[in-house]
Amino acid sequence: MNKYLPRALLALATASLMGALYAGDLEDQIRKALDPALKRLEKGNESAPADQGKQPSQPADRSQPAQPDSGAQSSPELPAFGNISVEDERKIGSQIAGNLLGAAPLVADAKLQKYVNKVGRWVAQQSTRPDLKWTFGVIEASDINAFAAPGGYVFITRGLYAMLKDEAELAGVLGHEIGHVQEKHHLKVLQKQQQLDVGSKLLGKQVAGNDKNIQRVIGSGAEIMARGLDKSAEFEADRIGVVLAARAGYDPWGLPGVLQEMASIAKSSSSVALLFKTHPAPEERLTNLGEAMGDRLDAIKNGRTLAERFKQIKLAKSSGK
Amino acid sequence: MNRPLQILTVLCLSMAALTYAAVERGVALKADSIKSQPFQDAGAVGDLKKGDSVQIVSKKGGWLQIKAPSGSGWVRMLSVKRGTGGGSSAAGELGGVAAMSTGRAGTGQITSATGVRGLSEEDLKAAKFDAAELARAEANAVSAQAAVAFASAGKLAPQKVAALPEPRPATTNEAPRAGRQ
Repeated sequence: MNKYLPRALLALATASLMGALYAGDLEDQIRKALDPALKRLEKGNESAPADQGKQPSQPADRSQPAQPDSGAQSSPELPAFGNISVEDERKIGSQIAGNLLGAAPLVADAKLQKYVNKVGRWVAQQSTRPDLKWTFGVIEASDINAFAAPGGYVFITRGLYAMLKDEAELAGVLGHEIGHVQEKHHLKVLQKQQQLDVGSKLLGKQVAGNDKNIQRVIGSGAEIMARGLDKSAEFEADRIGVVLAARAGYDPWGLPGVLQEMASIAKSSSSVALLFKTHPAPEERLTNLGEAMGDRLDAIKNGRTLAERFKQIKLAKSSGK
Repeated sequence: MNRPLQILTVLCLSMAALTYAAVERGVALKADSIKSQPFQDAGAVGDLKKGDSVQIVSKKGGWLQIKAPSGSGWVRMLSVKRGTGGGSSAAGELGGVAAMSTGRAGTGQITSATGVRGLSEEDLKAAKFDAAELARAEANAVSAQAAVAFASAGKLAPQKVAALPEPRPATTNEAPRAGRQ
């Protein structure tokens, strides 16, 4: 038995070394491909820092109103991400969403679900992708978490919803998840792993459900939701969440308030085990968001929290499903 | 004339008392200047040092009114995290106790007090597609028009807000998080 061990180890080491080299190379290529386009996007979406307070730029959705969503990133400099159609993105997303709902069904409360969809859709209208079929839901899970899947699916757990104090906090949380969809963070992870071969017509005319091709792309079940994104993607989603909530007319301090609350929860608590595994520590997120916000949102004085409207929607007890 | 005023005063005072009754503590996440008023141009009344233990008195927009070792005043909300260093607030203790009593934190096999399970990595990996539930979720989606009407009912007026730049020094280019493949 033992004589095979060194050979096996050598093979393993070689394989992982090659894997690492290849991954690094791919990442470099992606970064190189993305860089010019990102710079252009920044230029387009932000005004010069000096006059930021007085003359905020147009929200991105209004600056490019006529552009169909699928065209938003189809620059020739983006070969890696440009070719996924919104339809394919939606197929991947609905497979992930359907799997997630298989693990945790919706809270059986039509009024609550409708309310969350209205808040979410209004916040999503402020994003660069207002035309997606945005679908929001509160799911039966006691721990504190929220999930986004490509194509416009956003789910928040019962545990997180129960922690919220007002509509501005809900808007901030949903805004963070909308940010992941807007920036296609999960699609980028899939592509980095080369599970998603954009060039091929892999997805074809299949629909989500029993499609082995789509399932092969996303891995086992909804595991992509447990894998987490890069820290930088989470920080970016925090910044987007704050901005989208503010654009929607809410108090921009909703999401920071929720992060404050998360920071006060014991790290050892089971209610945050998965959340803290897949996200940077709340302290780190607060610090990063604080740096980004600085005094930039001080001009917003009349952001609404809508605590009353939020409290009118009671979160029903679990049906024990 | 005086009586309604008195009632109002009593009401305001008791509300204030209620607000102040729950003493909340926090820890400074970074050094910051403590201001006399909740705005940037207000005069400084003290310096907050990273790690300072503070008492949170009230909140206003993006500002917290605090009592710190070097003085009392206002600091930016994101300079302070709520709870104490170890995270032993009521919510934290509750979660911690629940985790301890089952002794199986994070396995997803825990039934919490409300009878709803947590969602673990294993649950997600083993998840099976639920077409009916997905259809239900999609049926709850609302149109853009419905969202606009909802916003208008809540007097939510769209604001022009520029995207937030990534802070420097950048936090990008970090190694991917553990657990990624």
